[in-house]
Amino acid sequence: MISFLGKRAVASAVSLIGLIVLVFFLSRLTGDPTNLYLPVDASLESRARFREINGLDDPLIVQFFRYAGDIIRLDFGVSVRRGEPAIDAVLRAFEWTLWLAVITMTLVTAAAILVGALAAFRVGGVFDRIATFFSLIGASAPDFWIAIVAIVVFSVTFGWVPTSGTGTVMHWILPVAVLFIRPFGLILQVVRGSMISTLSSAYVKTARAKGVKNRPIIFVHALRNAMLPVITVIGDQAAALLNGAVVVETIFGFPGVGKLMIDSILQRDFTVVLAAIFVTAVAIFLMNILIDILYAVLDPRIRY
Amino acid sequence: MSPRLSRVAAILMATTAGFAASAQDAVTIVLSEELENVEPCMASKSNIGRVILQNVSETLTELVPGSGLQPRLAESWEDMGGGTWRFHLRKDVTFSDGTAFDPGDVVFSLARNKSDKFVCEIGAKYYGGMELSAKVVGDSTIDITSDPAQPILPLLMSTLTVLPSEANPDAFVDLPVGTGPYTFDEYNRGENIKLSARDDYWGGAPTVKTATYVFRSESAVRAAMVAAGEADIAPNIALQDATDPATDYSYPNSETVYMRLDTQTAPLDDVRVRQALNLAVDKEAFVGTILAPGTLLATGMTPPSTIGYNHDLQPYPYDLEKAKALLEEARADGVPVDTEILVIGRLENFANVTETMEALTAMWQDAGFNVNLQMVETAEWNEYYSKPFVTGKGPIIVEAQHDNANGDPVFSMFFKYACDGAQSGVCDTKLDERIAAATAATGDQREGLWEDTFAYVFNDLVADVFLWHMVGFTRVNERLDFQPTIRTNSELQLSQIEFK
Repeated sequence: MISFLGKRAVASAVSLIGLIVLVFFLSRLTGDPTNLYLPVDASLESRARFREINGLDDPLIVQFFRYAGDIIRLDFGVSVRRGEPAIDAVLRAFEWTLWLAVITMTLVTAAAILVGALAAFRVGGVFDRIATFFSLIGASAPDFWIAIVAIVVFSVTFGWVPTSGTGTVMHWILPVAVLFIRPFGLILQVVRGSMISTLSSAYVKTARAKGVKNRPIIFVHALRNAMLPVITVIGDQAAALLNGAVVVETIFGFPGVGKLMIDSILQRDFTVVLAAIFVTAVAIFLMNILIDILYAVLDPRIRY
Repeated sequence: MSPRLSRVAAILMATTAGFAASAQDAVTIVLSEELENVEPCMASKSNIGRVILQNVSETLTELVPGSGLQPRLAESWEDMGGGTWRFHLRKDVTFSDGTAFDPGDVVFSLARNKSDKFVCEIGAKYYGGMELSAKVVGDSTIDITSDPAQPILPLLMSTLTVLPSEANPDAFVDLPVGTGPYTFDEYNRGENIKLSARDDYWGGAPTVKTATYVFRSESAVRAAMVAAGEADIAPNIALQDATDPATDYSYPNSETVYMRLDTQTAPLDDVRVRQALNLAVDKEAFVGTILAPGTLLATGMTPPSTIGYNHDLQPYPYDLEKAKALLEEARADGVPVDTEILVIGRLENFANVTETMEALTAMWQDAGFNVNLQMVETAEWNEYYSKPFVTGKGPIIVEAQHDNANGDPVFSMFFKYACDGAQSGVCDTKLDERIAAATAATGDQREGLWEDTFAYVFNDLVADVFLWHMVGFTRVNERLDFQPTIRTNSELQLSQIEFK
């Protein structure tokens, strides 16, 4: 296992370096940020001073090697837009995103596994049809629309929860609920499909023939074997959330890393873009390691 | 309900109590974006200005809609000649950190705007092309000199936010200290900014004691926050969200939308072609449909409240036949009117800008113009809008929205129309002379010269296609007695807010 983790770490580090190099040059292709930061009436002298202060007047290759030297010391530079260390802004935002992802994925995983397993037990039954109907709606409805409707109904009309923002437990309800819907629908369908396949296998039929009750058949024998593809999808969905739930963060005013990254791309705040990509890439790498370990725990045949 | 369930319900109820209503003397203001910084010398940016300007940091003078230039930190001022103005400052003014305000703070603040360690928006926007120097001549008197001389120097001083001379000269401040009626308490990045009223402010005690600023980029959410009672003021909401006449105010927002013509390149170098472009646009058809009701047809670069605005000018009527006739006349004289004209629009510039530009180009095509619309993001748009202009792409028309809430055309006319103006699509020596003369004049003469200059640009040169003076929408909680004005685009003085 240690050897496996070492190899994964090396492979991930190589990928990370490639990603940083690629993003550095691609982001510069979008152009000089000077015109975005200065008023349109700013003089040529002001523009030249801005470029000099922010190191934008050097050749691109010089800028790259300077950045590479800094990043080795984990110095990601200062945000042009915010005037603070880029990594500070990213870590602060990432903490919000991480909590949002952890809470949402915990709820999604528990609910989707429970409902998906029960739906698969009687395929075509009333519960299965209802679960499938709502999961398909959830998986296909746009986040933006759901979020706005939820605010109008639950905040403005009924006044049950705050429209947006942070500060209390209640502020988390709408963002988590909106984020919950899509991965819930998707994972439920995967659980259901995997369980249908598992429940029709020979060992389940044997268990039934021996008089084992439904609950242990579903939750003890079948579910564990049906979980491998489910974990893969959960990993994908969690990775998407770690990259930032941009729409939900934007609408609900959650200061997460997705919104920070999009704002920074639009504002050509290169240091923040690169720091955000670095942090989320490391997080996703760690999560993938965790998923690999989970595979081994669930299926004793898998050994690294 | 079980005791455990009751406890959970009680905790949840307790956590909800805070989000619906604010205290009687507190307000919550929801802005459209998180502030990138809270530096007073960046307060000419709309949202930074709404927090900082005249709340935390004050200026020597203040432009008040309907009243003109008024004293603020300076009680009076006089022209000493030779480009020098003497300002008599208020005595017994202190900063929120307790230090006394004196002329040295003004000297420091002026110098800081030209720092070589960072670029201040106010310095770059208002003090370009001039050398400003200051000299302390008494305990509460200061001479400020401009080279070249600026007759509107007192007006320029309505943009200079004053910091204490102890502030960091080499970097943006994180916790601004000012002489204003409010203390900047804290900035919780990504969440909120909090201000509280000072007990020792030199002016009268404001009614609003505390203010919290939060940030939501979605207009629908900002409007919903006021509707739900979570916020009191939501500036800059979209037309489609301004649905409640009881809370939604529309007001001229000091923005003018126009199409900048490249008058140096054929066929736009022919005045008949430029007249045809003006006549081919049915400007009124946009108002109340894809633009807000109350939007005014424009005949000049600045809003009608600006001094020297020429109220006698009438917008070009929509006359498609006359436009076609002018084009044919130009064609007969050898003007290449079939040349493709690139029209550059700026994405997200104002609500429904893409639809507006598509309709506009369709109107020009109906008149016989060969136009090709490209909507581009801000940075790319800037390359078309500001000099050095993009070359090798033929004639270009650039859509732009210009903001002048400062009451004087000088903040617009040089940049937009002088030969050396950074965004000027014309170069006319007579116009340069007119701008220079109006800039140097004062009083009624200044007003008259600006009126003449507006007429010359509009009637004689037909330099641009002026479209509209825009309106903005702000939603205000019904518990407040507050009327947004043209200044709400750039500042939001908490001391002007009362409760009903």
